[in-house]
Amino acid sequence: MKNRLKVLRAERDWTQGDLADALGISRQSVNAIETGKYDPSLPLAFRIADLFALPIEAIFMRD
Amino acid sequence: MRAKDHPAMRRYVRRFVPITFVYMASIALATIIIADNAPATALTIGLALLPGLAVLGCLWAMARLLVELDDEYLRMLEVRKMLVATGLTLAITSVWGLLELYSPEIPPMPVFYVFPIWCVGLAIGQLVNRFGFGDAGDCG
Repeated sequence: MKNRLKVLRAERDWTQGDLADALGISRQSVNAIETGKYDPSLPLAFRIADLFALPIEAIFMRD
Repeated sequence: MRAKDHPAMRRYVRRFVPITFVYMASIALATIIIADNAPATALTIGLALLPGLAVLGCLWAMARLLVELDDEYLRMLEVRKMLVATGLTLAITSVWGLLELYSPEIPPMPVFYVFPIWCVGLAIGQLVNRFGFGDAGDCG
């Protein structure tokens, strides 16, 4: 699954650590999701979507 | 937050280190005190059970880590390590057991080795995470 997390984060001038803190997860997890090494669960994907005030499909896309 | 700073990770280390110390110390103690081929007495059985209790403590600490680790990615790394360790332990003990069964020259493997083999498997699981998936986690 592809995602736009890095772009969305950059638009807000957030570091991976900032995003991790906002989501209550580790920076390592943010990095794994951004680089496509790990696809988040649906609940975490919803939390990410809520944080960016976007629908999930605007952040995560099919390969 | 870095993975090793996660509260569940810190609690795990605080639990695991003293339990491991008890495990190793009690094995050393039993080895020193109990002579080879000593008859089973309340003392020898009690001493032999001490490291057994420590093993149960280690398993409890690892189970608590999985329960308390609310970061799903870090939890996945830990679970993958444990799966590698379990697979390795099953492979070694099963193959060795068959060799024992059909080749009388093969010395029997004491069941005692199952837990140390599993712990070695955890370390190999860590390497699988690092080199197979590019991430080792920080949980040791």
